[in-house]
Amino acid sequence: MRGTVFTETMLGTVRLDTETTERRVRLDLRAEADEVLRPHRTTRARLTGRVRIAGFADDPGAEGELEVSPIARRRIRYQLAFTGDGRRLVLDGWKSVTARRPLASMTVLPFTLYEGDARVGEGVLRFPAATRLVPFLLSFRFPRREDRAQHFPPRWDGTPGRTEVWYTTLTDPTTGTGIWLHHELTVPADGSDPFAHGWVAAFPRDGEVRHARFGSAPWTRPADGFAGDKVTATPGQLAGGAGEFRWELTERPQGPPLFTFPRWSWRRPLLPAAQMLPAARATYDGEFSYGEHSLTLSGAPGASARIYGHGNAHRWTWLHADLGGGDVLEIVAAVSTRPGLRRLPPLVFLRLRRGGRTWPRRAERSAVGWLGVGRFRAGFGLPQWTVTGRTALRRIHVEVDQPAERTLTLEYRDPDGARAVCRNSESADARIVLERWWGRWRPEASWVLDGTAHAEAGDR
Amino acid sequence: MTAEGLVAALLADTGDEDWPARVPNRLDSVLAALPRPARAGVHTAVAALETYAVLRTGRRLAALDPDARESLLGSLAARPRLVPLLDLLKVPVMLAAGTERMPTAPLAVTAPEDPPLDCTPAQEWPTRSTADVVVVGSGAGGAVAARTFARAGLSVVVLEEGAHHSTASFGRRAPLDRFTELYRDGGATVAVGNPPLLLPVGRAVGGTTVVNSGTCYRTPEPVLGRWSSVYGFHLAESFGPRLDEIERTLRVATQPLDVLGNNGLLALAGAERLGWRAGPLRRNAPGCKGSCQCVVGCPTGAKQSVQLSVLPDACAAGARIVTGARVRRILLDHDGPGAPRAAGVRARRPDGSELEILCPLVVTAAGALQTPPLLRRSGLGGHPRLGRNLSVHPATSVAGRFAEPVTAWKGVLQSAGVEELHDRGVLIEATASPPGMGSFVLPGLGRELRGELEEADHLATLGAMIADRPSGRVQGRDRTLVRYDLDPRDGDRLMTAVRAMGRLLLAAGAEEILTGLPFAPRARSLDELDELLTRTTARNLHLSAFHPTGTAAAGADPRRAPADPKGRLRGAHGVLVADGSVLPSCPQVNPQLSIMAAALAISETWVEREG
Repeated sequence: MRGTVFTETMLGTVRLDTETTERRVRLDLRAEADEVLRPHRTTRARLTGRVRIAGFADDPGAEGELEVSPIARRRIRYQLAFTGDGRRLVLDGWKSVTARRPLASMTVLPFTLYEGDARVGEGVLRFPAATRLVPFLLSFRFPRREDRAQHFPPRWDGTPGRTEVWYTTLTDPTTGTGIWLHHELTVPADGSDPFAHGWVAAFPRDGEVRHARFGSAPWTRPADGFAGDKVTATPGQLAGGAGEFRWELTERPQGPPLFTFPRWSWRRPLLPAAQMLPAARATYDGEFSYGEHSLTLSGAPGASARIYGHGNAHRWTWLHADLGGGDVLEIVAAVSTRPGLRRLPPLVFLRLRRGGRTWPRRAERSAVGWLGVGRFRAGFGLPQWTVTGRTALRRIHVEVDQPAERTLTLEYRDPDGARAVCRNSESADARIVLERWWGRWRPEASWVLDGTAHAEAGDR
Repeated sequence: MTAEGLVAALLADTGDEDWPARVPNRLDSVLAALPRPARAGVHTAVAALETYAVLRTGRRLAALDPDARESLLGSLAARPRLVPLLDLLKVPVMLAAGTERMPTAPLAVTAPEDPPLDCTPAQEWPTRSTADVVVVGSGAGGAVAARTFARAGLSVVVLEEGAHHSTASFGRRAPLDRFTELYRDGGATVAVGNPPLLLPVGRAVGGTTVVNSGTCYRTPEPVLGRWSSVYGFHLAESFGPRLDEIERTLRVATQPLDVLGNNGLLALAGAERLGWRAGPLRRNAPGCKGSCQCVVGCPTGAKQSVQLSVLPDACAAGARIVTGARVRRILLDHDGPGAPRAAGVRARRPDGSELEILCPLVVTAAGALQTPPLLRRSGLGGHPRLGRNLSVHPATSVAGRFAEPVTAWKGVLQSAGVEELHDRGVLIEATASPPGMGSFVLPGLGRELRGELEEADHLATLGAMIADRPSGRVQGRDRTLVRYDLDPRDGDRLMTAVRAMGRLLLAAGAEEILTGLPFAPRARSLDELDELLTRTTARNLHLSAFHPTGTAAAGADPRRAPADPKGRLRGAHGVLVADGSVLPSCPQVNPQLSIMAAALAISETWVEREG
């Protein structure tokens, strides 16, 4: 299921009923529909944008509805509420599409301004096709519309030798404390009963890292997420207790899902394992306490992720960096445990979601490049590891620092009984530099995360 | 001036009086209001006449002396085939001559202030707007529907092609000037057929109720019974209380005798001597002063046309009227399940620009001649019976010459009804009209016609309409083309009506009957009249009609009725038909109350179900 997003600019004039002269109007709109725009059907979209009426209104927070139906109803209707001159006004108008005058009827928008039910003005907007058609067409995007809750139910299909993880990492903006909740279903390869277990950890800015394990508990096959040993992780809710830890958190997703590995590898488990985020970013509210510490979270940034596969990699690193402003960087670099694959250099899955767009466009690009040429590279190590890579016109350099005092070392166990060691820090540092090529490499953006990056590095 | 020579010839102008010289100018203004084909027809006829004059005498008509003109007309009148054509040519000339010969002085009485209406010219109405209901047409049906929906709390916009005329404006202007403005096509709407039929309809805020005679007959019970039992239009069963309400709104009462006028009194006297059922008509004109100008807008405000009675109530309840807006099409949403759904209307302003109003319910009340083309333009003309089933109440008139002056234009325009033959489908109504505006065509050409004109104050006029079979059809999408072929039975009824009117006039003391037949214009006795009538047929009569109905009839049979029994158009959601076109068959009486009751029933039923 995909949606439609596009932007449109229209210019025109309006004459207010109380005035004799016309004022210039400019509309800069972004339309977002939950379905793919099909011209022969009726598509409804949410409108947001900026309304400017010369000397009267300049509201960047205009909101409304768009009804696009150029063939079925021969009408494209705009209803936009905005504030002008301290009053709440509604712009209501529509283009009447006719085959006799296709260009004029698709570009001219007569409208009426209302305050409540009373008319306060009338005007005409025009889409300047000569200058705006190309940007308009290039602005069309058809992003996937997914229900994040659909990624929470267990994937396990009864096959022995599988592991499935629901993990959440977040940072309390008040205290700088990093929090890690790890919920895991392990299905031993020897055919014994599956069990649920996990752990919780706190990474205070000053002080020692604390953690506690919960489980093992029999797997009860919950329908909507993880449940075991009085710990639950369901869409929007995280609750439970382990040792000195207690938590009751509400999760609010802040963006669409982010597939760190190729989407197909999550839908069809052909790779040894795959990871994805039901929401690329999330905020958390609620209570989290451990020992004598009690945190009241409000809008704490973080994310939940999911893993399903045969077990842990041979070596791996992971980074989740909330870059602010809705941007996020997710990296998984791993060497497979499979014979043969183990000899390959690390596969780097890097996803930078910036301004609503994800780079590189395909997850495979960073991992394998073009038959290995141009793949992204990872430099494993501790306390610092790096990832670098470039596409045709953009390159990135990521350095992650996991200071030992802010790192928690835990032992993982695969379904086949093999052991791995994970060194995790929810208060890591990261430095990210993004450059764009325009005659030469020019800085495009850079971020420095001081104790707010979520990272781990694992090996055998 | 188009036709100086023609006017001079037809009116035998000798230059003794001033008024004939003013007629050509007046004629030009009449012609300017006519539709282009009619205007072209008149111009062609005038050109042919002038050519004939030049060929015969070497000079144009205007340059001939009165005797030569008379001789020329005489030679034309001697050709029987030309007489009906010359009669047609006489109609606009008589209209102009009637006005110029007896200019109507502005009324001494001050016109009362009209109840307020919320009228907005289309130029000032926004190009884009929304409403709950749009009513197309502000006539009898549209006004009642608008009032019902507005009272139910819905936002209503009434779109009217014509303009709003106040009572005061009627008093200020000559009847002929009003005539050309208040009627569609300048009053020259014609139904094509044999014989052709003049079918004038009003175009103003208030629709045809502005220009009708104000006669208010309740729908006869047998008609209501037939509509319900035969056609399945079950709303007719509830017409009783609704007709009561409409009568209260229009303040319908029997016309008092004091202002009835000689025309009506003579009709009543004749009926009394014959022992026929007759009486003053029930009218919606309390305090009528007998101005005899109903057909060009009542200048005293006595006639309770809907713009004075129903629309003010509608506007008080929130309805708004847009004038000068001709609805081009009903907008439809085709993407829902099932039939398309009405989404609004697109209307054209006088300057050619368009406005649109979005609404989930459209009420078509454009009249029986305009509703079918509107539906066709909107893509809703798929029903095979749309535009058919047209009944018009064909009418003809007969005049009687009396020894004493009658001065028919002083008194009530349509004053007395003779219902003796109503069971046989003939309803006689004493109908006078302002000079030249009646449907009665004076006989003769030249001096004979001038003589008739000079003696016109001795004429009393009766009109008779018949309950006809639905033998008409409304065609066209952008321009209406009406076709009406007189049914043989209806032809017999018309001849019966002519004979009955002649008998009535003779009984009232008429010395001579003017039959209106081109070939046999006069009869001095009933025997002579009978003898004349045996030599002619109804096809030779000058027919006119004022009550088009039935072109989008409501009924239970989906194959025969374009609208369902509740007045909803079949094949679409959200379109109601609430005008004369929804009546299943002709109501056999002046239809204003029937149309208003039907509109009330349809709109109230919709409000009860959907509101």
